Amino acid sequence: MTTAQFTTADGASPKAPSAGPPGTPAGSRQAPRKPRRRPDQVRSSVAAWAAVGVIGLFGLLPMYWMLVTALSPPGQAFRFPPRFFPTEITFAHFRAFAENDKLFDYMVNSVIVAGVTALLSVVVSTYMGYSFSKFRYRGRKSLMNFVLASQMFPQALLLITLYAVFRQFDLLGTYTALILSFTTFTMPLCVWMLKGIFDTVPDALLEAAAIDGASRWRTLHSIVAPLAAPGMVAAGLFAFVRGWNDFIFALTLSGDDTMTLPPGLVNTYIGEFQTAWPALMAASLIVSVPVVVAFMFLQRYLVGGLTAGAVKS
Amino acid sequence: MTPPSASPKQAAPAPPAPSPTPARTSRPAKREGQRLSNGAFAFLLTVPGLALFAAIVFYPLVASLVTGFFDQDLRLPGRTFVGLDNYADVLDRDFWPVLENTLVFTVGATLAPFAVGFALALALNTGLKGSGFLRGLFLFPWVIPGVVVSFLWMWIFNANYGVLNGALLELGFIDESVSWLGEPTTAMVAVIVTKTWASFPWMMVMMLAGLQTVPRELHEAAAVDGAGAVRRFRAVTWPGVRGVAAIVLLLEFIWNFQHFDTIYVLTGGGPAGATETFAVAVYQDAFKGFDLGHAAALGGLWMLLLLVLVGVYLKTSEREDKHS
Repeated sequence: MTTAQFTTADGASPKAPSAGPPGTPAGSRQAPRKPRRRPDQVRSSVAAWAAVGVIGLFGLLPMYWMLVTALSPPGQAFRFPPRFFPTEITFAHFRAFAENDKLFDYMVNSVIVAGVTALLSVVVSTYMGYSFSKFRYRGRKSLMNFVLASQMFPQALLLITLYAVFRQFDLLGTYTALILSFTTFTMPLCVWMLKGIFDTVPDALLEAAAIDGASRWRTLHSIVAPLAAPGMVAAGLFAFVRGWNDFIFALTLSGDDTMTLPPGLVNTYIGEFQTAWPALMAASLIVSVPVVVAFMFLQRYLVGGLTAGAVKS
Repeated sequence: MTPPSASPKQAAPAPPAPSPTPARTSRPAKREGQRLSNGAFAFLLTVPGLALFAAIVFYPLVASLVTGFFDQDLRLPGRTFVGLDNYADVLDRDFWPVLENTLVFTVGATLAPFAVGFALALALNTGLKGSGFLRGLFLFPWVIPGVVVSFLWMWIFNANYGVLNGALLELGFIDESVSWLGEPTTAMVAVIVTKTWASFPWMMVMMLAGLQTVPRELHEAAAVDGAGAVRRFRAVTWPGVRGVAAIVLLLEFIWNFQHFDTIYVLTGGGPAGATETFAVAVYQDAFKGFDLGHAAALGGLWMLLLLVLVGVYLKTSEREDKHS
């Protein structure tokens, strides 16, 4: 690119991102650091911002609306047409959630069930993922495919028999039933994530451990597992989130005392006549918080971890 | 030399695979104190997981399919063998309408979020300021629980107080409030919009990952050669992400084909069965209608269709694997 082109670019579109703030003389100190853009790059960045803007409206406005409703006193929430900017706000709905014993119990159940599911998934998946990653044996590929495919089996169909099986063993309505059934749909993801993580542990390390006389168990537990710990935490968080979010298994297999938040909220708020929308939106926000926090920690694993199970093997 | 069976390394900065190690061979190690061969040890590691799968996935699945040949009530013990009666009944009555609903939902809820997610990924990939922050922000809809997503959109679509009706009335697009979830056509659209909102972020993340594998130099070279934006997209961008797009679309299609939460909470399959997909129909048959045999027969046919999709998925992902 020549200097002439730079000048043309600036002349043609004074709003080019690389142009200095208004009033700064042309060729300000920013110029050498950031190469100025050609006109088509400016156009494409305008198009990019337009796309982000439109999708932003679709993607983010609903969440804004959830927040506004949760903060609205009932009189305001049910005004029609609704006000985009609320004139008065209240935290009463959040307080009501905290003071509702039933909801608190659901939340405790959710923490227990999702937490144990995460632990169990990680333990079981660590062994399986390690086996898939560091050993070569007949049937390995088929097993891996089976695990991958198992997350695509229809849950509604599984439930028909799971319900009967758990009833037969008197487990219906217990934490055990929920945890076991949750684990089956969290495990495939965990296995593939952990396999990906073990793949990055150099084989030379295992070799060295073997030469030093460590048994294979010891190698896995004392050498490989600590190295893979961050990945195991990530897998655990994923499993926790999946368990926390599950609706259909919890709806069907839990009892009054073990019900988790998603079916609990449906039972509490979706009334036959008039739903308490502001309270429900407040509860929805509260239920989303742990998941959102978990994912903030998980951001950097997201692409690697999810694509591991989906795109690559 | 690396043996041909060496695992494909995932992370780019992974060190080159070292020479074959004892852990990698499947022949029994000769060292003392190792009674198990490596193969047996490796299999032992998978046993807890496999046991769980066998008990909670495989057995129930097979048992469900068997149930399809019986007349069985959820509330009562015992069952009667009826052969193919349930299947005949299902094919006669609800299979086809449910298949149609499922296909409409699945195609809509796969293509729409793909379009939105891909557009966003392309936009973010141009190197906008703060695109990392934006990516995180746009992930929120995907992260929040499915039931919450349904509540939120149920409120937005609310016929009496919903913000959508409010906005459209104010802007003059409609003359009177629409009962979005109460009319068969709009209910299906509403369900698809809701699912689109929940899954476009995943599409965005995956396509962004795909786009980042397309070398920037290729774009620049094409631009220098005078290729316009559309041309560059067709010649450089699309070939680079086609593989990822295929996998992502297929996966989303499979997931949507058995999606339950949003539809069940938003419409319960209504109005008048307009949004009744396989997942909802099987669930309703079994746990609201208590007709396990009927539910299992419908579920069996559903499973058959899913298996075909899963087979295609496994083939495709293997092929993509060899490419990368």
